[in-house]
Amino acid sequence: MKILIIEDEKALSDSIVTYLKSEKYICETASTFNKAIEKIEVFDYDCILLDISLPDGNGLEILKQLKRDNKLDGVLIISAKNSLNDKITGLTLGADDYLAKPFHLSELSARIGAIIRRKFFDGNETVQFNEISINTRNKVVLVENKELDLTRKEYELMLYFISNKKRVISKTAIAEHLWGDEMEGNNDFIYTHIKNLRKKLVDAGAPDYIKSIYGMGYKFTD
Amino acid sequence: MKLLSKYNRINIITTVSILLLSSLAYYFLIRNTLIHQLDKDLRIEQKELMDFISKKKALPDPLNFKDEQESFLPIKDSIPKKFSNIDIYNKEHHEFFSYRQIEFAVSINHLFYKVTIRKSLGETEDMIQLILITTLGLVVLLLLALFLINRFLFNNLWKPFSNTLHHLKSFDLSTNKPLFLPETKIDEFSELNHAVSMMTNKAVHDYNEIRNFTENASHEIQTPLAIIKSRLELLSQGEFLKEEQMDNIQTIFEATNRLSRLNQSLLLLTKIDNQQFQQTQEVEISVITTNILINYEELLTGKKINLSTQIKSPVLIRMNESLAEILISNLITNAIKHNNKEGFINIKLDDDRFEISNSGKILEVPPMSLFERFKKEKAASDSLGLGLSIVKKIAETYHFTIDYNCINLVHTVRINFNLSPNLLQN
Repeated sequence: MKILIIEDEKALSDSIVTYLKSEKYICETASTFNKAIEKIEVFDYDCILLDISLPDGNGLEILKQLKRDNKLDGVLIISAKNSLNDKITGLTLGADDYLAKPFHLSELSARIGAIIRRKFFDGNETVQFNEISINTRNKVVLVENKELDLTRKEYELMLYFISNKKRVISKTAIAEHLWGDEMEGNNDFIYTHIKNLRKKLVDAGAPDYIKSIYGMGYKFTD
Repeated sequence: MKLLSKYNRINIITTVSILLLSSLAYYFLIRNTLIHQLDKDLRIEQKELMDFISKKKALPDPLNFKDEQESFLPIKDSIPKKFSNIDIYNKEHHEFFSYRQIEFAVSINHLFYKVTIRKSLGETEDMIQLILITTLGLVVLLLLALFLINRFLFNNLWKPFSNTLHHLKSFDLSTNKPLFLPETKIDEFSELNHAVSMMTNKAVHDYNEIRNFTENASHEIQTPLAIIKSRLELLSQGEFLKEEQMDNIQTIFEATNRLSRLNQSLLLLTKIDNQQFQQTQEVEISVITTNILINYEELLTGKKINLSTQIKSPVLIRMNESLAEILISNLITNAIKHNNKEGFINIKLDDDRFEISNSGKILEVPPMSLFERFKKEKAASDSLGLGLSIVKKIAETYHFTIDYNCINLVHTVRINFNLSPNLLQN
């Protein structure tokens, strides 16, 4: 899977590249409007991370260019503005999702995963991890073909873990993913959910993949 | 005290004192003139009497009219001529009458007589009285005229001023509308309007500058925050981290998250201030409420919070959809966060109000202060203290009123959608 990161802050795009590379994505970066236009004219990407405010142009123009060229690249807008207008304009112009800075890399990764699934597998992709498979269209998790009885949030949590497998995910990132920003500072809530999911997985015969990482959060790993 | 009353008071005091003083002056002046005239008449009488005596060498019959009397008294020696006033009791009328009299001596055949000629002062006093009454009448008339003119003139003259004041009172910096003051031909008010306009325009300008600055600053902060956050996430992936290092990373991570949430909340408040949520529509509050509750369903179960709802459907309120979501969501998360384990939340929604009550702890700060920025209960110090001020800001934007009370550890927040009556009039 090829990802293009259009972001003028090198420090940020470097972080994104490092994180996504370990998810087996192939990453390229463009730090200016012109470089970005060059790249999208020549190559096709599975997903493009697009920062709207670039030093030499508006990222939304890149989006328009993509649509003019009838390109199928998935587009995830990352913006510091978190303005509703930008969001609506972006989505109307054909972007697939919108993520406001500052975001969690784990959230970014999960969103990219979702875009790619929607775009290229018609939402029907089955995500596999050892004996666990997740059908993202029907929103079902199977352990050795046995369906797990998960609540909505447990399913979301499961998918989030799989999208960030073998990575440490902070409790905050999980809480924000599940409930949005409003549940600020109440990470204790997720403890129950993790505990329940863990129990259901183990009961269904899967190994205990969810590791608690001291102080920091959780890691889904074999 | 009103300017008009103050002005009237000074005006009336001065006018009345001057008029009274001049009446007094009149009185004495007229009285003196009249007495002078009487004295002249008395001298003429004296002369006539003297002529009579020098011709006839005898006293005439004394006159005795009501307004003029003469009397002759034999005396031993001559006396000097003397004018004086005298009051004489009149037995018929049972009252005193005032007279002006002249006394002088005449000698007839070496015998001296004291002659007294009196003329009544009655007419004079009648006249003075008439003059005084006329003057007083004029005073009253003048005062009345002054009062009416002042009142009329004042109201008219000060109209530009009260206009300006009216505009100033309804001026609201946050609406971002410059103050418009009508033209006036009176220099002083025109100058005042000019100064007020300059001042308010500057205030509007500065206020906008500050708002823009806040928004820009908040935006600029997002990118470095994004970098810090992402690098921390990468750092936390390290395989061989020591516990101490993990602790450090976690602490920085949490602080960064706090900072970023803080920044986002402030940005939201600024955006509401900057009216970036102009787009309004009929929002189905009932649906929004239900959806938010579904989102937190498992959270409530986890905390063993008993939820009961009376949600009328549909409840349509004209407002911005995002703000409606934020409003309801903030209130619900607030009720969850500050709840006890195995507590409860009750939600009532109808066309007039959204009411949410929850079990909780005793408040250590004045209730309404929770709606101020950065005010929070110590117990939940990991919250930012901005949630309720955002609620307040949104409510203010749409002229909703907020009621809050805490009875027997049950906290109730009520948002009244009803527009205030005076707003409907507008």
